[in-house]
Amino acid sequence: MSTVVKVIRPVGILDGTKADVFRKDINACVENNAYIILVDFQDVTFMDSSGLGALVLSLKTVRAAGAKLLLCSINEPIQMLFELTSMDRVFDIFPNREQFEEKLNNNQL
Amino acid sequence: MIVLHKTHLKVPSNLKSLDKVLVHFDRINQPSIPKKVWLECQLALVEGFTNAVRHAHEKLPADMEIEIEIAVLEGRLELRIWDWGPPFDLQACIEYYCQGQNNDSGGGRGVIILHKIADRLSYTRQGDNRNCLLIVKNYDAEVESLER
Repeated sequence: MSTVVKVIRPVGILDGTKADVFRKDINACVENNAYIILVDFQDVTFMDSSGLGALVLSLKTVRAAGAKLLLCSINEPIQMLFELTSMDRVFDIFPNREQFEEKLNNNQL
Repeated sequence: MIVLHKTHLKVPSNLKSLDKVLVHFDRINQPSIPKKVWLECQLALVEGFTNAVRHAHEKLPADMEIEIEIAVLEGRLELRIWDWGPPFDLQACIEYYCQGQNNDSGGGRGVIILHKIADRLSYTRQGDNRNCLLIVKNYDAEVESLER
């Protein structure tokens, strides 16, 4: 059986105005039996604590379903937000999409 | 202390104003402010502003404006955010969240971020029935002579 991988690519500022849509997208992935959900931050310019809150709640949802939530391509301001809140220790974050795919293809996830 | 640069902005109490706040903050960036300090203050400003919109102005009409002032001094950034909300004990709120923080909750992180970033943080009731959130960040100015 192949692993079901879903990728979510938010755009712009991930804050309180986008938090609900983001969580709905994650829930849809879980309902569609995704085993690995990658949130690709390539096009996210900024995230505040509301965006981070949505991400944390999503992680709970995904883990409860026995699936994995992974992140990649976060920029410097977002990296700083993760470090300030110690969330860099909670999330698995890949530097870029390529490194995620390499691990995925080698069955290392 | 000499004020090198000071800007004002008034925006409607709406999370959609965040774009405008970020653009405004971009304009005060200058080489003497270390990048880490600038990024931290950008985040502190955002957290202060969204707190004002979501909490202080929760029951107020969106056309009640939130005022922002950014002052660049020698080795110091001062951010001020004025809201029209009811009086609020920020210190008690910080203590509550710093004690009870658990890693998988969705909220409460904003005030902890403010507390961690600011060298001085206060939330004061003013005579005009507004509250003023003051965020002060000190830093060693980067040596500009390298760029000349």
